[in-house]
Amino acid sequence: MLRRDLLKYSALGALYPIVAACDRSPKWQRDAFRKKENSRVAILSATRYDQALKDTIVRGIKLCGLDVKGKRILLKPNLVEFDPKGVINTHPAVIEAAVDSFRGLGAAQVIVAEGPGHRRDNEYLLSASGLYDVIKEHRVRYVDLNTDDVRATPLRSRFTDLKQLYLPESLYNADLLVSMPKLKTHHWVGVTLSLKNMFGVVPGVVYGWPKNILHWQGINNSILDINSSLPLPQFAIVDGIIGMEGNGPLQGQAKSSGVLIFGDDFVAVDATAARLMTLEPQKIDYLAKAGEFLGNLDQEKIQQVGERLDKLQQDFAVIDDFHKLKKLTS
Amino acid sequence: MIDQVANALITLQNPDGGWGATRDRRSNTEATSLAVSALHSLGEESGKDRVIRGALWLTERQNPNGSWRLNDVATAGSWTTALAIIALSAFPEQQKRALDASRWLLTQEGSKPGILAELILWATGKSNVNRLNNDLIGWSWVPNSFSWVEPTSYALTALKKVRSSLTAEAVNERIQQGEAMIYDRMCKGGGWNYGNSKVLDYALWPYPDTTAVALIALQDRAGDQANQESLQALRKTADEANSGLAASWAAISLNVYGQDTRDWQKRVEKRFRETGFLGETKTLALALMALNGKANPFRI
Repeated sequence: MLRRDLLKYSALGALYPIVAACDRSPKWQRDAFRKKENSRVAILSATRYDQALKDTIVRGIKLCGLDVKGKRILLKPNLVEFDPKGVINTHPAVIEAAVDSFRGLGAAQVIVAEGPGHRRDNEYLLSASGLYDVIKEHRVRYVDLNTDDVRATPLRSRFTDLKQLYLPESLYNADLLVSMPKLKTHHWVGVTLSLKNMFGVVPGVVYGWPKNILHWQGINNSILDINSSLPLPQFAIVDGIIGMEGNGPLQGQAKSSGVLIFGDDFVAVDATAARLMTLEPQKIDYLAKAGEFLGNLDQEKIQQVGERLDKLQQDFAVIDDFHKLKKLTS
Repeated sequence: MIDQVANALITLQNPDGGWGATRDRRSNTEATSLAVSALHSLGEESGKDRVIRGALWLTERQNPNGSWRLNDVATAGSWTTALAIIALSAFPEQQKRALDASRWLLTQEGSKPGILAELILWATGKSNVNRLNNDLIGWSWVPNSFSWVEPTSYALTALKKVRSSLTAEAVNERIQQGEAMIYDRMCKGGGWNYGNSKVLDYALWPYPDTTAVALIALQDRAGDQANQESLQALRKTADEANSGLAASWAAISLNVYGQDTRDWQKRVEKRFRETGFLGETKTLALALMALNGKANPFRI
């Protein structure tokens, strides 16, 4: 070991008691969160964006037993930045199929809403990503969550120092929030899926771009506090038809994965998605903590339906810092 | 076309006199400041009443410490204070309010990472993942967080507009350091992302809107090589973005540098016809400034 390494590990060792001491206070009210006994997650095969995705999405929703009749649905895709050579965003074909599906299943209203973390220019981002054509053709309302009216919302857990968050009124005017992330690795926290996708509901006009206050408070901590405090029921549809590996969430490489993942427990959905990427969910900091109070992380508590997980598993590359997440597979 | 854009903006004014981000949104300081600046710069008698009501929305909401909150729901002074200064500095009778706000702005500083965070970053070998000079302090989006290009640029523009009425020593030091911070964050080849030029050794790319506001803040250093490179970056990125917001910011920024903006004005008009800027107050206001060009509210 080099002297420099020794100094570093010594410094970390010296920090441990401080960090551990800070960690002793309870981060959430034990009786305020009740995990379900079991969570159902559907994995369905979908290999191309130009196939009939509506049927697959309807099947996924039905497999999870979700009733959307008469409900106001807010679809929250991951639309963060645009790179013509990249696969950063939830594909517009998946969003289009979701709009059709929820309408077809009797939803009273479907809107698409996002607060892009890296761009203030909605006209550019919607046009370049192809989503503008979808919302125009299907006459679906798009709400910029970055500039929506806001409501002060008390946090229900205390991983950050923030006591409250201003959240968009649109969350309070919907009956169901559908997180529609892209299946991606993330260079700061390992993976970005339905839980991390909730960064997009934090309004930029209050907190700035790229929502630095959440990074300042710790990305892992912020993910937990936002998700614990969402004011409405949730459902997830993960776009894993083509995912991203390596230096995600913006500059990674495309990874054809051929799946859509569904479920009403973000933790269970993200844990399943991580397993599909051959990453160990228990080793992903925020996911492990979320598994303690927000949802089910253990494979035994997840009733997995649709395709078999091991049949569709893909070896997602990660940056060096996250090699520790790689699950050894046979 | 200028009349159509102005009318579209006027119809978004709320009954309380302010503007929200889009129709039916609560009035906020960003949208109202930009709308007031844009309509006032037209100098037309017919819209005077609208402008006065908008300015009144702002003056009635100035905090006792000189700052502005984002809207009636928020509780603390915000980054939008700089935009309110820019808007009100155009009204001779509102100079005191603009100065009070500027003094508040001078008390605001972006934070540096704490010692514990620095130590953890150093110990994990990530002390320079973003290639930043953390000692350079500008302005943050929210209190107790990092300095970013956009709020720092708005603050610099606001302070430079009123600097002759402020104590030279205090304001000059902040302006110098703010400028140094912006130049430190410049992307390779010119232009600005939000605050970093690199993350984990990967170069970040410039954005047209961020580049435009940074160039506006640095307009009195037009001859600097960095400014010239960034003007090129602005033209390139705004061309690629092909949006009303990007074209409007490009026209406003190039205008303060005394450059021909007719092509950009044509783009603004084209995008307005095609998308109506999605009904966004901010873009409508900036488009109006871009198309007007004569009395640019962002000129220092």
